[in-house]
Amino acid sequence: MTEVINDTDEKQKFIRGYSAMVLYRALEKKAMAAQRQGRIGFFMQSSGQEAAQIGLSMALDEDTLFYEYYRDLPMMIHRGVPLELILNQLFGNRDDIAKGRQMPIHLLAADYNFMSIPSPVGSNLPLAVGSAFAKKYRNKSGIVEASFGDGGSSTSDFHASLNLAADLNLPVLFFCENNGWAISLPVEKQTKVEIWKKAEAYGMLGLKADGNNIMEVYKVAQEAVQHIKSGLGPVLLEVRCYRMGAHSTSDDPKKYQTDIVAEGSEKDPIVATEKILKEHGYLNDQMIANIRAESEKIINEKFEEQEKIPPPDRSTMFDDVYKERTWVLNEEEDEYR
Amino acid sequence: MSIMNMVQAINHTLDFSMSEDDSVILLGEDIGKDGGVFRVTDGLQAKFGEQRVIDTPLNELGIVGAAIGMAVSGLKPIPEIQFQDFIFTSMDQIINQMAKMRYRTGGTVTVPLVLRTAVGGGIKGGLYHSQSGESYFVHTAGLTVVMPSNPLDAAGLLFSSIGYGDPVIFLEPKKLYRSEKIEVPDERFDVAIGKASLIHEGDSLSIITYGSMVPVVKKTVENNSLDADVLDLRTLSPLDVDSIVKTAKKTGRVMIVHEAPRTLGMGAEISALISERAIEYLYAPILRVTGLDTPFPYRLEDLYFPDERRILNASSKLMEYR
Ligand SMILES: Cc1ncc(C[n+]2csc(CCOP(=O)(O)OP(=O)(O)O)c2C)c(N)n1
Repeated sequence: MTEVINDTDEKQKFIRGYSAMVLYRALEKKAMAAQRQGRIGFFMQSSGQEAAQIGLSMALDEDTLFYEYYRDLPMMIHRGVPLELILNQLFGNRDDIAKGRQMPIHLLAADYNFMSIPSPVGSNLPLAVGSAFAKKYRNKSGIVEASFGDGGSSTSDFHASLNLAADLNLPVLFFCENNGWAISLPVEKQTKVEIWKKAEAYGMLGLKADGNNIMEVYKVAQEAVQHIKSGLGPVLLEVRCYRMGAHSTSDDPKKYQTDIVAEGSEKDPIVATEKILKEHGYLNDQMIANIRAESEKIINEKFEEQEKIPPPDRSTMFDDVYKERTWVLNEEEDEYR
Repeated sequence: MSIMNMVQAINHTLDFSMSEDDSVILLGEDIGKDGGVFRVTDGLQAKFGEQRVIDTPLNELGIVGAAIGMAVSGLKPIPEIQFQDFIFTSMDQIINQMAKMRYRTGGTVTVPLVLRTAVGGGIKGGLYHSQSGESYFVHTAGLTVVMPSNPLDAAGLLFSSIGYGDPVIFLEPKKLYRSEKIEVPDERFDVAIGKASLIHEGDSLSIITYGSMVPVVKKTVENNSLDADVLDLRTLSPLDVDSIVKTAKKTGRVMIVHEAPRTLGMGAEISALISERAIEYLYAPILRVTGLDTPFPYRLEDLYFPDERRILNASSKLMEYR
């Protein structure tokens, strides 16, 4: 393998990025199988969006705050969120930070700067604006990242958030992961113009990148970050990628989806990334085989371990509604004994 | 007559109503090609076209607001919100436009629409796919709120709601969507809005309930041979005050069972009505068996619902009270 000396950091960065993609994919496969066996209740796949997310993540600094959405698990893995923490939430077990209260895939990893995910689409976006204001007001370093899908770009929250962020000139990166679908609606039915173009109407920079090209996303994301850090205001970055699976494990896309992308095809971002990184001399077939085998092993082991942890105690149901339990909750718990 | 579950009964009613009246328009997310995430509108776009079954972008406020506009302009829109939890993003349109149009126009402009949505738990949907928000709507003057508990009532109430003349919030307990198949007439028939249904008769106590809790109460009463009146409210606003007061006076012991949280839930209102109108007939305090005043939990979902044990506890308390 040829190594150019000043290339080494970039190379390591891309290998790490690629490894995170493969590790995520191994997790997804395991989780989908577990869901079908009734071992976890629900899952939402991110396959098709890995290169887009990790290309972005590679361009973001340590001090980035994430208002991610439910398909951002690959990005979380890339940023070092421990598998235990993720799996505890998938199982909703006793050790889950959220005490088994949220549906699987509504993740939280505050120690890794990932905020808690709500189900209502788009409702993470105004909060990102508020956090960006707080950062600016307190002179804190770092920007705020807020992800959403093409469907999310139709919500009132999206429009309110872009408008306010531009008005207040805040350090937010709005990251639209356009996977082509919002459940059954193709993006052409969601919006009449490309989503990144909407930025202009709000007075901010709009950028787009091919979400299947990790290098392109990385480069465009760096440009976005530079722009935001220079105090020039928020950016809307749209990446075009693919939803390779169903919307969720409760959905059957056969009825509506016309462009199902098969695993292993050139539109599969793992395949696309392997090709790009091989061309750059960053990866070779042996490394790929090793990374894949290692990932599967890790995921299999972790799954078995975390699955053994029991569910939360029933009394936890009454905690955290308020800072102290009210008389109402105490009475209701008594009724349950 | 055909044997139908609740999803099929609602689908049939929509189909029938759209065939009869071309002012009936459906709109919502994924309701067209996909037939709705619960398949309630399955096949309707193929039959009636994209002008009558509109797949909208992802924006509930837009869906509801546009439906109000259609309604004031002479159509009978039936917007669908996938999960009631997401209606909250359109509450401004519901509370400030839909509910107030008749009043603020001196009765000259009305909003004849039916806003359909899936409510309650039972599908492991966690915090945001399980809420029972009927109190928010019942608390808002100008809204009519119904919640069927079986396929027959679902069809009959929906027929009555379409063309009712006022906005109807039509709450479908998703737990019951496929739980029971019964005979439903193929022809149009109406279940009157504002009328409860006495589904079991007894003299010792009254259990007032609705929606997802009806089968639970029914089973508990039957399995334990409780000598109880069981009232399925069916309409939550306006309440069938006559039936409520009648059964309270008859038995003197009243329990209210619902899935929604207790505080300011339907139980509070029903209890107040009975206190105001029949307190001298009561032998025991009115008891509520309800969902919890917590958000809806994912992993412990089964513990959240009122169940046989809690209903029996309440019934013992009522019977033993002196
Ligand atoms: C406000 C709101 N309305 C409806 C839903 C139901 N829902 C969940 S995901 C989804 C589609 C989202 O599509 P998109 O934003 O493109 O993201 P993707 O799932 O494709 O990644 C819908 C309609 C919801 N969660 N929130």
